[in-house]
Amino acid sequence: MATPAISIQNVTKVYPIPFKREKVTAVKDLSLTVEPGQVYGLLGPNGSGKSTTMKIVLGLVSPTSGTTEIFGRDSTAVASREEVGFLPENPYFYKYLTGEETLNFYGKLCGLSRARIRERSKELLKLVGLESAADRRLGGYSKGMLQRIGLAQAMIQEPRLLVLDEPTAGVDPAGSREIRDLILDFKTRGITVLLCSHLLEQVQEICDRIGILHRGAMIREGKLEDLISIQSQTELILENATPALLAEIQAMIAASPAKLIEQRKPQKTLERYFLDVTTDQP
Amino acid sequence: MIIAFLMLLAFGAARMRFEANLEAERKALYFHGAKFNLSLEERIGQMAFVAALSGFRGPIADGLWIYAHVLWEDVQWGRMKVAMDGATELQPRCVVFWENAGWHMAYNASVAAMDDKTQPRLALRVKAQHEYWRMGEDYFLRGIQNNPDSAILYTRLGSFYKEKLEDHAKAAWAYGEGAKLPNAPVFLHRFAAYQIAKIPGREREAYDLLKQYYLNGEEEQLPTLLTELGRLQEKLKIPPEQKIAIPSAPHP
Amino acid sequence: MTATAPAPSRHQIFSFTRVTAIASNTLLELIRLKVFYFLLIFGFIVIGISFFTSKMTFQEQHQALKSASLGAMSIFTWLLAVLATAMLLPKDIEDRTLYTILAKPVPRFEYLLGKFVGVLLLLFIALSLMSMLFLVVLYFAEQGAIEQTIRTTPKADLADALNQVHRSTFNSDLLPGIIVIYFKSALCAALTLLISTFASSSIFTVIVSVIAALIGHIQPIAREAYLSSGNAGPLAKAFFAFVALTMPDLRALDLADDVIAGNVIPMLLFLKTIGLGSTYIGVYFLVGYFMFAGKEL
Repeated sequence: MATPAISIQNVTKVYPIPFKREKVTAVKDLSLTVEPGQVYGLLGPNGSGKSTTMKIVLGLVSPTSGTTEIFGRDSTAVASREEVGFLPENPYFYKYLTGEETLNFYGKLCGLSRARIRERSKELLKLVGLESAADRRLGGYSKGMLQRIGLAQAMIQEPRLLVLDEPTAGVDPAGSREIRDLILDFKTRGITVLLCSHLLEQVQEICDRIGILHRGAMIREGKLEDLISIQSQTELILENATPALLAEIQAMIAASPAKLIEQRKPQKTLERYFLDVTTDQP
Repeated sequence: MIIAFLMLLAFGAARMRFEANLEAERKALYFHGAKFNLSLEERIGQMAFVAALSGFRGPIADGLWIYAHVLWEDVQWGRMKVAMDGATELQPRCVVFWENAGWHMAYNASVAAMDDKTQPRLALRVKAQHEYWRMGEDYFLRGIQNNPDSAILYTRLGSFYKEKLEDHAKAAWAYGEGAKLPNAPVFLHRFAAYQIAKIPGREREAYDLLKQYYLNGEEEQLPTLLTELGRLQEKLKIPPEQKIAIPSAPHP
Repeated sequence: MTATAPAPSRHQIFSFTRVTAIASNTLLELIRLKVFYFLLIFGFIVIGISFFTSKMTFQEQHQALKSASLGAMSIFTWLLAVLATAMLLPKDIEDRTLYTILAKPVPRFEYLLGKFVGVLLLLFIALSLMSMLFLVVLYFAEQGAIEQTIRTTPKADLADALNQVHRSTFNSDLLPGIIVIYFKSALCAALTLLISTFASSSIFTVIVSVIAALIGHIQPIAREAYLSSGNAGPLAKAFFAFVALTMPDLRALDLADDVIAGNVIPMLLFLKTIGLGSTYIGVYFLVGYFMFAGKEL
């Protein structure tokens, strides 16, 4: 069995409040596994512990208890970050650097040679569609361009895992679509993606598995299809059909030249499911 | 954070003796530091005091010195003294401050006091003159205390004793002390001898010194020395065979 | 191009490349600060103006010139050290660039070291520029004094007089004096970095650093009072001890007065002084790293 890309085991993170006795539990006994090559959506309302979980995965914050591993390596070890690329929410990169200089800077931080950095920069700028803006300072980039250069820097050292926090936040629909397509492209290359987003429609389009956090705990987790399917119902995609017709139609279908388009269980939208689940919780 | 604080305390304890020794070493080499006491604050004002605390001693002292010159132009001796006290206290190693402060008090202020038309009583004018002399002398002496390696201050002190107090013994002492220093002006030892020559009962001592200087070579055989040597030879009735031949001075 | 596992790269526990990448980037960032240019210009103005103090004798003029210039260099590099360092960490945290850097295989030690080295480079550049201007101004002041001396001094005393002119301008201890100014500002930068690791904002960091520097200039008085506090009460003793132990001795890193007075600074004293300065810098940096290592980001 392949080593999981991310393995979070019984992680709890408690923040003490200065000068007060009470504490804040940001993450409560969380366990989740992300297999290599998956796109995993980590969802939750504001304050649910998504950011804390991400920071624990990245080793920026140490858990109070529990363990986190990235491809079998303890996430608190600096070396584990060789495998990880991270794009935070609304990042401000150094505005006085050009696109190319930004990739150069992050490439050096990853220990790449000059030649390799040049090579990777060229590839990535082409991939994210910023070849023509490579010599322009980041201060002149649009929001969408900043997100794309952010993705490029996250990819500079060819990581096996990408952690993306709201990658399309504040980006126009066209830019958003481009970023979505990039993520799908990463998926086809076998890169594991941990994605945090409030844009549930987008998550529904690209994620294989999702986990929903609420008040620090995982309340639902699993394959997207399974979670949003309504098991008790069956759906036939027919036009102007009545319930009485169903049984008759099934027999008729086999003998008739008519074509059954699809027969499946009806589905709620992920948005509906998310709201139902989180508003019912105490 | 507590651990970090303890680390700083431990570092503080470890460096305390070293720093104290380093400061002692610097004081032994040079007298150092302004005296940061209340009287300094009163003299230079609160903001200047705070600025001096922050390491601006040099610029503050320079500012006070410039201010002292402005007060000199306005003939305000009292306020000038306050400004000069501040400057010398902030920069005790600045010889120029002591030298000029002494000169202003001992010469300029004392002469101004004697010429003071607003004071009709001579006795009071003389009293003021002597007071300024005392202040001037004090500057020179304190300057020497802070800068024991300064031949200039000894020179000025000697000149003050000679010209103002006409105290030849003290003048001789000052010139003599200055002459011992490595950076002493070339004439200082001779000046000491000239003053000794004026002290009743010490003419022989002066003669021996001046003769020794004469025998040192041409660079010492200057007109004043030759004149004094001649005068002392007559006064002490030196036997002819022991006399030094003094060439007669050219007629003007 | 596929995302197959990259060739296993051995993570270096310490990498000069990473540190220099962060340091040069920090320098680029700081050189763009408006405050850098303002402070530099003010420093130039003070040094330039002091050239025109022509009312005094040349000795006083040179003394005033050196005093004002070294004073300006000291204060402006100190201010620059505090202001530039105070904003380093808060800015990176606020912009979230800190996360993008630490999400790479960059140890926190290297990040902090790179930032600090960037500040040291900035201080070096600022001080070098001010020193060059100061030396040029001093040279012209000397030339003026030489011309005047040649005009007014009899030949017999000319050599001595010219020697005196030269002694009142350039002495060999100008450079050690400037080096100590650099170490003092570097110490203040290290202290500011330490404070910024636990401070809640840049303003707080700046205020605390400035107060610490002010107290640092009278720390020797507290130390002396503590070491010789025979009759002092326990509260007074505790207060003196607290100041002496926690505050840096900034007077120890001040040779400007001796340089201005033309005193010879013994090599051993100079080495002890910069040794002390280096120790301060090292300790403050390490304590700052200790705080930063445990900081929740």
